[in-house]
Amino acid sequence: MPPLANKNVDLLQGTLDMLVLKAVSLGPLHGYGVLLRIQQISGDRLGIQQGSLYPALYRLEHEGWIAGEWGQSENNRRARYYRLTYAGRRRLHAETRKWNEMADIIGVILAATPERA
Amino acid sequence: MSLRSRFSTWWKAVSHPASLDRDMQDELQFHISRYAEDLMRNGVAREEALRCARAELGSVDAAREKCRAAWGTRFIDDLRNDLRYAARMLARSPGFAVVAVGSLALGIGANTVIFTAAQHMLLDRLCVPNPGQLRLLEFAEPDNGVVEQTWGWGDNGPNGEQLYSSFSYPVYSQLRQENRAFESLFAFKPLDRVDVTINGQPRALNAEMVSGNYYSALGVRPQIGRAIQESDDGAVGSGPVVVISDRLWKRQFHRLRDAIGKTILVNMTPMTIVGVNPPGFTGAFSAQSAPDIFLPFSMQPIAAPQSFAPHPSLLTNNDLWWVMVMGRIKPGISDEAAATSLNVSLKSAVRATMTVKDDKQLPNLLLVDGSRGQNENVRNLAKPIYVLLSLSGFVLLLACANLANLLLARASARQREMSVRLALGAGRGRILCQMMTESLMLSLSGGIAGLLIAFALRNVVPRLLSDSWSPPAFSARFGWNIFAFAAVMSIVTGIVFGLAPAWQAVRTQVASGLKESSQTSTRRRRGLAGKGIVVFQVALSMLLVVGSGLFVQTVLNLGHSRLGFRTDHLLLFSIEPPQTKYPKAKSTPLYRGLERKLAAIPGVQSVTLTNIALIAHSHSSNIIVLEGNQPDEKDNPSVLTNEVGQHFFSTYGIPIVAGRAFDASDTETSRNVVVVNETFARKYFPNVNPIGRGFDAGIKPLVHLEIIGICGDAKYESIRRNPKPTFYASYFQQKDGIDGATFAVSTRMSAESIVPSLRAAVQSVDRNLPLLDVRTQNQQIASDMQQERIFADLTATFGILALVLAWIGIYGIMAYSVSRRTNEIGLRMALGALPKQVHRMVLREAVRLATLGIVAGLCAALVLGRIVSSLLYGIKPWDPITLVGAVGLLAFVAIAASRIPAHRAASVDPMQALRHE
Repeated sequence: MPPLANKNVDLLQGTLDMLVLKAVSLGPLHGYGVLLRIQQISGDRLGIQQGSLYPALYRLEHEGWIAGEWGQSENNRRARYYRLTYAGRRRLHAETRKWNEMADIIGVILAATPERA
Repeated sequence: MSLRSRFSTWWKAVSHPASLDRDMQDELQFHISRYAEDLMRNGVAREEALRCARAELGSVDAAREKCRAAWGTRFIDDLRNDLRYAARMLARSPGFAVVAVGSLALGIGANTVIFTAAQHMLLDRLCVPNPGQLRLLEFAEPDNGVVEQTWGWGDNGPNGEQLYSSFSYPVYSQLRQENRAFESLFAFKPLDRVDVTINGQPRALNAEMVSGNYYSALGVRPQIGRAIQESDDGAVGSGPVVVISDRLWKRQFHRLRDAIGKTILVNMTPMTIVGVNPPGFTGAFSAQSAPDIFLPFSMQPIAAPQSFAPHPSLLTNNDLWWVMVMGRIKPGISDEAAATSLNVSLKSAVRATMTVKDDKQLPNLLLVDGSRGQNENVRNLAKPIYVLLSLSGFVLLLACANLANLLLARASARQREMSVRLALGAGRGRILCQMMTESLMLSLSGGIAGLLIAFALRNVVPRLLSDSWSPPAFSARFGWNIFAFAAVMSIVTGIVFGLAPAWQAVRTQVASGLKESSQTSTRRRRGLAGKGIVVFQVALSMLLVVGSGLFVQTVLNLGHSRLGFRTDHLLLFSIEPPQTKYPKAKSTPLYRGLERKLAAIPGVQSVTLTNIALIAHSHSSNIIVLEGNQPDEKDNPSVLTNEVGQHFFSTYGIPIVAGRAFDASDTETSRNVVVVNETFARKYFPNVNPIGRGFDAGIKPLVHLEIIGICGDAKYESIRRNPKPTFYASYFQQKDGIDGATFAVSTRMSAESIVPSLRAAVQSVDRNLPLLDVRTQNQQIASDMQQERIFADLTATFGILALVLAWIGIYGIMAYSVSRRTNEIGLRMALGALPKQVHRMVLREAVRLATLGIVAGLCAALVLGRIVSSLLYGIKPWDPITLVGAVGLLAFVAIAASRIPAHRAASVDPMQALRHE
């Protein structure tokens, strides 16, 4: 299996932040780990532009939603691990709720059938 | 989102860019190697795996840049780049940078110096808690008001009534008792020049008399010792105590605590120091300068009697209004309500203390803002300050105009660069930012240099505004507001002169800018902004040249004007013997003794004294009753008078044209004689010989005065005033004596070498008498012309500066225009134009610009001339010679400045110019 596949569905605009938050909410991860986890959870159906991941991580840290710390990787190398902060957890909840609501509404709209006169 | 994390990440990015960079590098490297490992595990070859991993991550540099930007560093990075670039651009043309920063520093420095002075005079508040609650009591009354004798500040009100800020002591007492609207009413009175002897050394100090509740009402506590309190201000003589200023404590007592309890002589009266005021406290009268000693009103009859009052105690005097009254208004009470209730009290107090005749009007009470005290400085110095402010404003404008011009020329030269930048994808906003960074960098450097200049010169204006021999009117402080002012001014000037060039840079069209070979002949509009600036410069120079012409001639006229007396080798000093020791005529023998002692000093040629010093903005006048007139008649003339010593006319070199001067035969007991000036004789004794005739003068009872001589006309109070009818009386024939005298010593010795012997002579007569205001007669005269001289110096300096700047401006714009039109000129010459014609064409252009500027400047000069006309002497603001001279000068400058460009244009080689394309 290729480690990172990116031939599948493209990410919706503006959802990368939410996915990164969700990924690190399950436990501290380094950047590469974030990619792997998202891919793994999505069942290899979602690909992320690697180039856009790190700016996103830095942006989230700037906002105070995740915190980065240097630690040891599995094979004893220096890696930067990100964990969710309290503010990040609240943000994730809010984003999730908004997303669900949005999905609901759009689902309802798309499920509409022509009314019978 | 949290501000903390935003700031801490931003700060890390800004303060430790290198370590952040390393971390990002490591992080991305880790990503690549992990990905490559995973790829290799899937059977990809090592080389291929690494290549692939790098490719998928994209450019590491770009990613790093984006990460930094995510931490909010975009702005600072851009700024840093812009600054670096701007510094490089300036370093490449150091001449330009020096001229730009130098002229801005001059402009901003001058403005800051004058702003510092202006804000002191206009904004300084009393150094007490909540000065905004203080109200000063004033009253207004028409000409036929019941109050006839005042000692203190007075002014004309808007409706022709008189305004005063003084009250009689009995009226103040009653107001204080009946007061409901104020926390409490307190009184004070500034006293100029009280003779104070400390440790045996006499000196003249300013004092303030205060009521017992003054300190508690103002809320001021002495830094050591105690304040003056109610118990000090009881019966006359109950409080022989003084509180001294911080300055006096430092200067005379070296900040030693044992100053408390020391006894000093105040007008020969022993008084005990009980406290030292906090530094910065200036009393209630002025916010700029602090009196050195504060004493209670209860000591006035003993320590500060006044010669003009019939009885030493002013505290029981119902007719003389002299006490200033202030109060803290109670919260929640409006000024109107407070004034109304006080007005009722005032009227009843006047009725209770004075006899009010039917035709007399009662005074009306007014409340004015007391947070700045009486604030006399504003009234006296506002006009010169405004003139100075506008002059320095002009200089800054000129500097801005010149810079804008220089920058415009540079911007045109950099058009290609701008086009390249735009073509490479720079946003117009970025280019605007970059250009503004450059001008702001210039203006801020100029601002810093200007601030340094201003700090060095901060006390120049206060010194200019006071006489050369007395201490400055106030001392300038540098606070945050000065820095803020300089910073704001730098930024504003940066924007003002940077806007036009920046705009031009932004407007650059990529396509035309790149292919432009800059010799197109049709686009004359390009230089329009620059030409506008040159016209403006010429107009401003015109204004300054006319101004300097007027002021320089004013000073010359004043300097050459005939005074009527000799001014060289005359040393002046004043003596003000305290009334406590020398009441009324008791001072006459003192003066006689002093005259004798001074005349005996080796090197002194002659000595005299005058009640009022000449050319010192002061005079004394008297109503005279000519023979055959009745004393009560309304049209009895008022003439000037001065009480002088026996040798007055010889010491001052005033000629006696008929009769005789005073001599030894005129004594205290002989008949009263006077010498009149020629104007007096001509006006009141036409066609008759006045010698031996006489007139009556004086305040009841009238004294008959016999004219013994006629002297030449001499100016009296100011160089600007032509001699008026004046009579000179001898001081020892004054029944009530004279209050204070200015001695004039004629000597060939220098002031430094003779003053010690003068001082010794005075102190051998009375060791507690200080010499006041030692100056030469010429210094006294110079101080009369000081304002005019400042204006002349400043306008002349600024005028020359303006001419130089205009020269540079015209030269720059013409040279620029010629270089742009080389091609066109070549074409003209190829088609048969003669060099002479080309030469003339360029000159015509310059003359056209100059004419526009000159006309505009002329109009402005005529309008503004009206404002300064009161400051001129012997010349009208529309003086044709000055105006024509200024026009000629500017026309000359314009032609001279454009000669070189014109010559260059005329010597264009047509072949070369056309080939250049």
